[in-house]
Amino acid sequence: MRRVLSDLALGVRLAVGGSRKSWVRLALQGAGIGMCVAVLLLAASIPTAFGNRDLRDDAREVVEEGTGPAPLLVENGSVAFRSDYVRGEYVRALVSDAPKPPGVDRLPGDGEIIVSPHLADLLASPEGVLLRPRFPQKVIGTFAPEGMDGPLDLRFLAGDATIQPNDGNQAHGFGKEGSGGGLPTVLLMLSIVGAVVLLFPVLVFVSVATRLAAAQRDRRLAALRLVGAGASRVRLIASGEALAGAVVGLLIGFGLMFAIRPLADDIPLPEVATFPSDLTPTLPLTLVVIVSVPVLAVLTSVFAMRRTIVEPLGVVREQKPVRRRLWWRVIPALGGVALLGSQAGKFANGSKAESWPVIGGVVLLMFAVPALLPWLVERVVHQVRGATPALQLAVRRLQLDAGTAARVVGGVAVVLAGTVTLQMTLASVENEVRAEDQRERDNPSLSVTVNETTPLPELPGVLAGTQGVRRVETLRSTYATTQDNDHTSVSVGTCAALELVVRIADCADGRTYLVPSGNGVGDPKAGDTLTFAKTGGTWTVPAVERANGNVFGLYATPAAAAGLDLTGSHTELQAEVDTSRPDVVEHVRNALAPYSWRVHTIFYGEDSTSEIEQVFLAVRRALYAAALLTLLLAGASLLVVGMEQVRERRRPLAAMAASGVPRRTLALSLVWQNGIPLVISTVVSVGTGILLGVLVTKAFDAEVHYDWTGIGVVTGISVGLVLLVTALTLPSLRRATGALGLRTE
Amino acid sequence: MTTLLSAEGLHKSFGKTSALDGAGIAIREGEVVAIMGPSGSGKSTLLHCLAGILPPDSGTVTYRGQDLTAMTDNARSELRRTEFGFVFQFGQLVPELTCLENVALPLRLSGMKRKDAERASRDWMERLEVDTVADQRPGETSGGQGQRVAVARALVTAPKVVFADEPTGALDSLNGERVMHLLTTAARETGAAVVLVTHEARVAAYSDREVVVRDGRSRDVEFVR
Amino acid sequence: MVCIVLLMSIGHALLGLLEGGPRHGYDLKRAYDERFGQDRPLHYGQVYSTLSRLLKNGLVSEAGVEAGDGPERKRYAITDAGVTDVERWLGTPEKPEPYLQNTLYAKVVLALLSGRSATEVLDTQRAAHLRAMRDLTRRKVDGDLADQLICDFALFHLEADLRWLELTAARLDALAEEVAR
Repeated sequence: MRRVLSDLALGVRLAVGGSRKSWVRLALQGAGIGMCVAVLLLAASIPTAFGNRDLRDDAREVVEEGTGPAPLLVENGSVAFRSDYVRGEYVRALVSDAPKPPGVDRLPGDGEIIVSPHLADLLASPEGVLLRPRFPQKVIGTFAPEGMDGPLDLRFLAGDATIQPNDGNQAHGFGKEGSGGGLPTVLLMLSIVGAVVLLFPVLVFVSVATRLAAAQRDRRLAALRLVGAGASRVRLIASGEALAGAVVGLLIGFGLMFAIRPLADDIPLPEVATFPSDLTPTLPLTLVVIVSVPVLAVLTSVFAMRRTIVEPLGVVREQKPVRRRLWWRVIPALGGVALLGSQAGKFANGSKAESWPVIGGVVLLMFAVPALLPWLVERVVHQVRGATPALQLAVRRLQLDAGTAARVVGGVAVVLAGTVTLQMTLASVENEVRAEDQRERDNPSLSVTVNETTPLPELPGVLAGTQGVRRVETLRSTYATTQDNDHTSVSVGTCAALELVVRIADCADGRTYLVPSGNGVGDPKAGDTLTFAKTGGTWTVPAVERANGNVFGLYATPAAAAGLDLTGSHTELQAEVDTSRPDVVEHVRNALAPYSWRVHTIFYGEDSTSEIEQVFLAVRRALYAAALLTLLLAGASLLVVGMEQVRERRRPLAAMAASGVPRRTLALSLVWQNGIPLVISTVVSVGTGILLGVLVTKAFDAEVHYDWTGIGVVTGISVGLVLLVTALTLPSLRRATGALGLRTE
Repeated sequence: MTTLLSAEGLHKSFGKTSALDGAGIAIREGEVVAIMGPSGSGKSTLLHCLAGILPPDSGTVTYRGQDLTAMTDNARSELRRTEFGFVFQFGQLVPELTCLENVALPLRLSGMKRKDAERASRDWMERLEVDTVADQRPGETSGGQGQRVAVARALVTAPKVVFADEPTGALDSLNGERVMHLLTTAARETGAAVVLVTHEARVAAYSDREVVVRDGRSRDVEFVR
Repeated sequence: MVCIVLLMSIGHALLGLLEGGPRHGYDLKRAYDERFGQDRPLHYGQVYSTLSRLLKNGLVSEAGVEAGDGPERKRYAITDAGVTDVERWLGTPEKPEPYLQNTLYAKVVLALLSGRSATEVLDTQRAAHLRAMRDLTRRKVDGDLADQLICDFALFHLEADLRWLELTAARLDALAEEVAR
């Protein structure tokens, strides 16, 4: 053990061996690995970031149970503003030392308000003009971070002395035991896929980085063999060199991570913007990174030397490579398809897809790409005989060592496949969101829910009197469960009222309509017996007609609802608004502002196309940026390998140029040599990506949507990258084939 | 016999060090000329200039009335491919190609079909007694075999001049002599001239005459025939 | 045979030394020993017998006698015939064979002393050696194994000579400096 350590130490010593060249090499290795480590650490912070959000959410929860009279009354006053949602509560303290929610110094008194910094900014900005009437209170402070979800949270806490105690507004304190929501499955899946996608370029880059100046290293190791180091010890020493690069990479990675952390609250998406302090890698994942990166570096360096025998007088490479076997390489692919396929049908019979098989399937399929590529490249290359000398040179080279090229291009392929998958998932989600948005805009309606405890008989009149409101109808709504324990809402109103929320052309009293849920699961059918939660009464569903609408549920005309006990139901005012007036809804909401927490407005039909575009553009940009970064990393690897190859084969290249082989032929053979694996890997990875995208979207039961432009762009970038790398290798080819290449140094 | 290839007043410097300083030489058809001299004397540079691999700083190289120094890089490449053959000390065979493919490479570059090129190459490999390693890669052959494969490749295009730069430099005496014997015999049979750079007298003894390069200047030491 | 070569070269060596000006026999011996004698100085008898042979052949002449008796009082000078003989000797390559470095060395030194081209001497010798090697190589290529082995023996020895010639050629400047001192 001690000797192992001292051998490793010798390797480290050789890696930092003083000369300028070795420092440059170490710096390059460190920078590459550091970049990867930083990204891995960011990924490792995701659980903390979302976990902390959950914790703060829980800490804000009102504790309703308690002994004696409640010291504090709390009413939900959340209000929509265009496509944003301002969350907040109105409170009334009944005792002087009433409990206060986290993030505030003191409870606001009547006519006072505490706002989040982002809400303060919005109110002060020109965009916030229409929001100001809703918050006339005196601002007495802002929330501390522990009272908010993230830096872009829109939140307030206002005091209102008019709140009267009732069953639903009693507060004995704040903070509940963590219910442990954890990361949403889709997000978890995306981050795991992302991590796997990133991990491969890391693996490839680490193995390539250990090959930097490999010839130099081999000479050093040969010298060590000459003075009597055994073959296994030489491997250990080589591992030590890789270890040095990995450790430097870890340091750089942690540095980078802390350098970019403060930028987290500048992300323009409220859902993603995070307090920098929340961006802390979890301890177990940090340990995994710290341990796995050096281990990976050492393993890949040992693995890369598997077929290299360092002899005392030089390095011998095995000439006849072993034929790659297929059987173990297809296992990940088959396993992945099987796992994902097993989940695809789950929605049809109503059960939910399980997240772990989906994640496992995705990861396995990702593994399948680099596992299959070397075999595939080898098979294809073996069929080719080489029609032109350039092609023959390239093909023969690939036949001898398809592994290196395939591994590097495999790194590109994984990124490509992952990006294609994410793009498809994204496109499908976007498609769905857009369709929903469109559906709402087709049927715009403003629904005003009145707090059950406060009768507001004048409200319909106030509403109707507001500019931009054409007419106001009343609906009664309640909730029920079917015998299969599915929940549904039941709304009763006149045809005039129903027409505002459901798209029906020929309404007649006595009919019942059903707005189906998105996936059709749990829709009540005629003859189902509904049980009402508030009254305990039951109702048999009559014949229903399907119709489009914004909210899933049953809509009954008064005659059809005869015999339905509507006790405990709440009133919903449906207003028809003139959507041609700009911001008409905000004006209506301002008109209702005096009622503050007593009414809640929901507007279906907000044109959020630009917001959707903004969000998806941002996500897409992030995706492209990440893909580009990893592709660049892979490109750098390709370049290193290419240069190394030219240097390694300097003599034959120079001799060929001297005997009159046109340089064009040699350059062309380089293009082929990178191009053949690239074309194969592009086909495989785009194929895998699409397959994966289809399986994932199917597993989450969304409509499959192909993002051909995105696929084209990313494919184009990777093709361009290989061409660029080849072009960058040409100068060194030129140098090698110059007459000076023949001179022995 | 007519002069095939000649050079006059060649000057060539690499940075501050002068490799050729007014060297001249004349090669006649079919003769074997040894260029000798101590290491660093400029004999390899003279060969590179003669073969059109390296353009001299000044002076002329004339091959069959054409001035090589006035030709474009591509034209010189073409000339080297079709009229000249080359054997270097080591590392000239493409490690990925089999020996047969290596020999066939110049023919294929000139547009010959694979089958024809490989048949012609096999004949030459038989002549140089290396047909047994035709389907092996250079790395799997011995040094002597590799050099004989290189000789076969140099001769397969029926060149007018074969340039051999220390062709036995990496071989032992016996293998070196064998390569030289086969090279000169084959060259004499096909009428190719051989320009042989060597510092070994026993290798030079296979030549018809020798030219000594000293401090970048050449001198004909002897003329026989 | 070796003896004769030595004798021959002593004659030419003395002639070469006399080219610098007339000398006594005793001076000649000292100059010879200094340059070529190394571990084998000349005997007086050898000097005088050689000189008398040269005198007899008309290559040297007596250039006056100092007072006193004995041959050591005589001064010798080189004749025109003697100069021509030296020139011819230097211009003629030695027959390539083993152990001729003494003669070759003497030739190089004398060429340097007399301001003639020592490189010329070496190159002439080199050409002769290579011609011999070429003949041997041809015989070897055409012959059977016994021929090959015998020829190779000779070739290796000649090659050693050639190496010496090359090395000397490379060191001529240094040698010229030493001789001029």
